[in-house]
Amino acid sequence: MTPAGDNLDSQNLWSDSVFVAQFCLPLIRSAQNADGGWGFQPGLQSRVEPTCWAILASRAHESTASSGEISARGLEFLRKAQLANGSWPASAEVNRGSWVTALACWVLTADAQAREAAAAGVKWICNDWPRDSSTWRRWRARLFSHRKITEQNDSYRGWGWTPHTSSWVEPTSFALILLASARLELLPKGAARRRELARWMLYDRMCPGGGWNCGNPMVYGVAGEPLIVPTVWALLALRDEPKRPEFVMSLNWLEKNIGNARGAGSLALARIGVEAGGRKWPQGAPTIAEMYGRNEFLQNIAVASWACLASCPRHEWLPGRVAEFC
Amino acid sequence: MALVPSFQRAASRVVIRRTANYEQDLAAVIYETLREFDLPVENKTVLLKPNLVGFDPLCEMNTHPYVIAAARESFLRLGAAQVLIGDGPAMDRDTEAIIESVRLREFTGPLGRTFVDLNLDDVKRVVLRTHASRLKELYLPKTVLGVDFLVSMPKLKTHHWAGVTLSLKNMFGIVPGSCYGWPKNVLHWAGIDNSILDISAASRPDFAIVDGIVGMEGNGPIQGTPKPCGVLVLGNDPVAVDATCCRVMGLRPEKVKYLNAAGTLLGHLDAAKIQQLGETVASVRTPFAVLDAFKELREPEREVWN
Repeated sequence: MTPAGDNLDSQNLWSDSVFVAQFCLPLIRSAQNADGGWGFQPGLQSRVEPTCWAILASRAHESTASSGEISARGLEFLRKAQLANGSWPASAEVNRGSWVTALACWVLTADAQAREAAAAGVKWICNDWPRDSSTWRRWRARLFSHRKITEQNDSYRGWGWTPHTSSWVEPTSFALILLASARLELLPKGAARRRELARWMLYDRMCPGGGWNCGNPMVYGVAGEPLIVPTVWALLALRDEPKRPEFVMSLNWLEKNIGNARGAGSLALARIGVEAGGRKWPQGAPTIAEMYGRNEFLQNIAVASWACLASCPRHEWLPGRVAEFC
Repeated sequence: MALVPSFQRAASRVVIRRTANYEQDLAAVIYETLREFDLPVENKTVLLKPNLVGFDPLCEMNTHPYVIAAARESFLRLGAAQVLIGDGPAMDRDTEAIIESVRLREFTGPLGRTFVDLNLDDVKRVVLRTHASRLKELYLPKTVLGVDFLVSMPKLKTHHWAGVTLSLKNMFGIVPGSCYGWPKNVLHWAGIDNSILDISAASRPDFAIVDGIVGMEGNGPIQGTPKPCGVLVLGNDPVAVDATCCRVMGLRPEKVKYLNAAGTLLGHLDAAKIQQLGETVASVRTPFAVLDAFKELREPEREVWN
């Protein structure tokens, strides 16, 4: 499949915004399931995560009545997918909440009809503490651990992918982005303290030299390699302190590694991270359209959505402040 | 597939093929070896599950794309209706970036309809019958559960938490990141050794092809040192294949916790129950360095396998 049936030999003529309009948005629209949600690929079951990205992408490019209706149906899917305890599961098959709760709340906070649902989700998030960093665990680890595998400060606490496990960079970043954007009345008592601990956790887990991987900056004394995707989410979560050395160092790493992006998802997110960090996307950088020609994004709805979001000039879909000159 | 205690199982067959480098005609080597097994793959859907860990232009930690392509071609020649390639990398959610970094498409052709990102596939609840870990159930990709023939295709590597990572540990990659995250931390909480057993028992790979042409020693599976070993190890019992690989690496399989347990329920660990074909272990034995935490895995110097 090629965008709008054209030959990708002429792909250099395609700007990403044209590509998004003529291919990514139609792909997202056509992949919406009858229940209003999206699967990770066309034809797969609706899941919370791709539904959130598709809604954000549709909203960011909302120009017609039909695109508004697409988002509304997606929101309806999200509302129905919420569990009784306020969380959202990663899949309808699963009966436990997970990290996607932060994404669902992020999307729903903008929906006046879903304030209650979002508030319940935010409360669930603030009550989900990682198990590895409890006082008891830290004390036990100090006494009995013979093998020092990682070097990190476990008194800083973020969020895990699944409840009551360990803190990791991406779920912590999603929760921080949500808590920074949620209206004050949605935030339960103690949310400010959780934000503070989580921010420290992200700074603590930064790789030497800047950037983040999943959350292991050093293993057995060896420095971990940063990755584009977690680096972008961490930068977005921490962008209200753009002058901090960790932020600048990580943004520098991201900018320097644009050319190393091998997947369309990484490339789209890199553009979001660089521009939201207040820097210009370099001319001559690879284009998302070129990347599509290689693997068709593996038909990934999340990637198509990130491509749409990356092409938004001022990234207004992002909650909070975006630098003026991007 | 029912779980059968080892003492009731017929002998397993494992073949070691000497393959000095990735320039050889691997498709011919793998095809001729697979023919010896008379595998039931005609008109069936086969899923190859390589070990794709991360960005790796030199293919030091990932199953080499040439081995994957050669296996795919071989199963198609054996009459398989469809040969899919699927994995769910554990540390990086940009699977496309990983397969591009290893240049998989250059060896297999377009991947749009061939590659399945197991991290993102639809999932189905599977009740675990082995109860090795505290996990009572797992949500596993429908593609893995639905194919007719599942092939585990790991890289021959040491592992800083499990000792070695071979065809059983490779099945960690079927656990979907979209449900469990990147990394799949819930498995670490449940105990890596026990989780390997539960996942392997739930997925039951039908065959294993291990890329040991260049393996990894020391602080594997990512930060270790490349180790040329010059072998492909193939077999119809992943436990027996892994045990044989350990012996090739100069390690004692019975000392690898999860392998020792797998030897009682999932396959044969005992060399006497493994019909060894192709090269002998002794002729290709290449001792791998392990971290100090796993020094008890090393074979005594005078112990030699035939």
